[in-house]
Amino acid sequence: MPCALLGDRASGKTTFLGLLYSAQVKYGTGVQDDFRFHAPIGSLNLMSAVYEGMKDGRFPSATLKEEITELGFIFGYLRKVVGKLPYYIRQQNWARPFSTLRFSAYDVSGEDIEEFIETGIASRPLIQQLLKSVVVVVLVDCSKMTTDIDTPAYKKMLRYDSTVAKLLVAFQTYKRQEYDRLKDSGVKADAPRIYPAFVLSKFDTLKDDVLARLGLHRGFPENKRARKDYAEALLRVFVPQTLSQIRGGKIAGVSMDKAAYFLSWVRTEQHEGMEPVGQSKIVRTGFAPEGGGEPDFSYDEYVEFIEHFRDIAHKIPDEVLEAEKFQAQALARAA
Amino acid sequence: MPHIVIIGDRDSGKTTFLALLYAAQVKSGATRADDFRFHVDLASMEEISEVFQQLMSGSFPDSAAKEGISDINFHVGYRRSRLGILSRRRSKAWSPDTSASLHFVLLRNLDAEMSRFRSGSSLANVNLRDVLESDAMVILVDSTRLAVVGEENPHGTMTNYDGAVESLLTALQRSRARGDPKRFHPIFLFSKFDSVNKKALRRAKIEDVPPGVRETTLRAAYARALLDTNLPKTIAKITDRVVQGVRFAPPSYFFSRVATEAATENLRDRVRLLRGDDGGWELDYSADEYLALLERLRTIATEAGD
Repeated sequence: MPCALLGDRASGKTTFLGLLYSAQVKYGTGVQDDFRFHAPIGSLNLMSAVYEGMKDGRFPSATLKEEITELGFIFGYLRKVVGKLPYYIRQQNWARPFSTLRFSAYDVSGEDIEEFIETGIASRPLIQQLLKSVVVVVLVDCSKMTTDIDTPAYKKMLRYDSTVAKLLVAFQTYKRQEYDRLKDSGVKADAPRIYPAFVLSKFDTLKDDVLARLGLHRGFPENKRARKDYAEALLRVFVPQTLSQIRGGKIAGVSMDKAAYFLSWVRTEQHEGMEPVGQSKIVRTGFAPEGGGEPDFSYDEYVEFIEHFRDIAHKIPDEVLEAEKFQAQALARAA
Repeated sequence: MPHIVIIGDRDSGKTTFLALLYAAQVKSGATRADDFRFHVDLASMEEISEVFQQLMSGSFPDSAAKEGISDINFHVGYRRSRLGILSRRRSKAWSPDTSASLHFVLLRNLDAEMSRFRSGSSLANVNLRDVLESDAMVILVDSTRLAVVGEENPHGTMTNYDGAVESLLTALQRSRARGDPKRFHPIFLFSKFDSVNKKALRRAKIEDVPPGVRETTLRAAYARALLDTNLPKTIAKITDRVVQGVRFAPPSYFFSRVATEAATENLRDRVRLLRGDDGGWELDYSADEYLALLERLRTIATEAGD
């Protein structure tokens, strides 16, 4: 099932992918063995290169970022029923032991979907793939969250808000069109649904005065409802069009109400009283003489992120298989 | 879907009006209360979010953005209050069936368009059918052009505009069959009301500030005091007792205000932003007027059968 990961240039997308890779490696090698991941060799090389660099205290270089053309990975979650089966049955492919989600990362320039906006037709496979996504992960760069109105960051955030809102409306429109097509063919299908997730990237760079102005404290709450309130307080101010169009999905007949929110931060070296020159260095934990330490980042949030999609992964295949079955029926009828 | 035609004199603030209507929806559609939601058609999103960006950057819509907007579709929904705390039912209150769709058609250069139309041509820039079959018309009244006795208004007068609006209403009337049950809703929007010449208000013997949005009778009297002298032909047409084809619903009146920072030698007027309750920046404008207008449009959409 395709899932889209959307982020502006320099929004921390590569870093996010590197950290996610790190979390996947750690979490995917746990004793429970109920989560696995896979990536094509190109993506794997890139993600591990980013991760290796971070283990050396470096953020991804510009050249590395440019190598991202189509980066993807797959999450696999052990299905509950299968988990209870004997090990040798569980290992068989026919048992379909894992529910999967296939993520692809995209740069949000908006240009790619111009054709769809103008003509209502998505002819390019890449755009079709993007618009078919059922899970949409949006990176919101906290370093651009400023209340200083005359700064480039303020204007960039305004532009990003418009672009993401436009993309979300494109997703809703595409899904609605697909649904209507099925309905017109006499097929009874469930109302379309998209699962959005927001990652507040570079959360450590969010300025204290911004938080104070919004009446927020620095820590992200653990309670699900409180997390939503906290994140929406930020989105309401910095990406209001996006938030309103997420909610407006319901009006368009495409529910996006099950939004989830996550933080991403990496601790960097701070020198008291001195402004860092160039790129900051990543702080590492658990450094051992035989190898590099792990970057100090919001690992728990990444685990939350991975776990959030478990239920969705289990649920989506049925919805998708049904939709595909219906589509096949519709095609057969048309023929 | 009801068609709502927006007409206004040159530079009367038609695009700003749409941008502010969108801003009101963005703000209401992202509140913690979550009792209003809206959706913008994909084809409208590019243009409307561009002008929103410009306003939020402190600028009025530029000419390129103005040219880009010809029609806009909004779909609005309000949470049904009677569902209250029944949260499981609350989510169902947002289905597309309970929302209202609004199709705005922007008619630019009204005077020129009506001259063309009178000479037998169709309206050049918009779908003529959308205009003639429209359910409502937002008639923008540029408050800076309201007449002041004994003074020449540097912003121009409304005589030509009045004639053009009357012609359009006549064309609309003639295009419909006698006894058409569909009512037509005129809506007067006084744009730039923050810049109105106080002498024009004195002349009409009215206060500086219009009555609140809920005081509909007082507000109608206030607006009519200005319109009777500035748009006499239009008002006569709308209040004409002799019904020809179309029945006019009682007009409604709204007053638009956007706070600005005065132009300097090098800079044009800038839109003033202020700190909102949520800590962010927001436009300093008559939001209550726009929210009341949205409610009115939803009622019209319901009456039109959406």
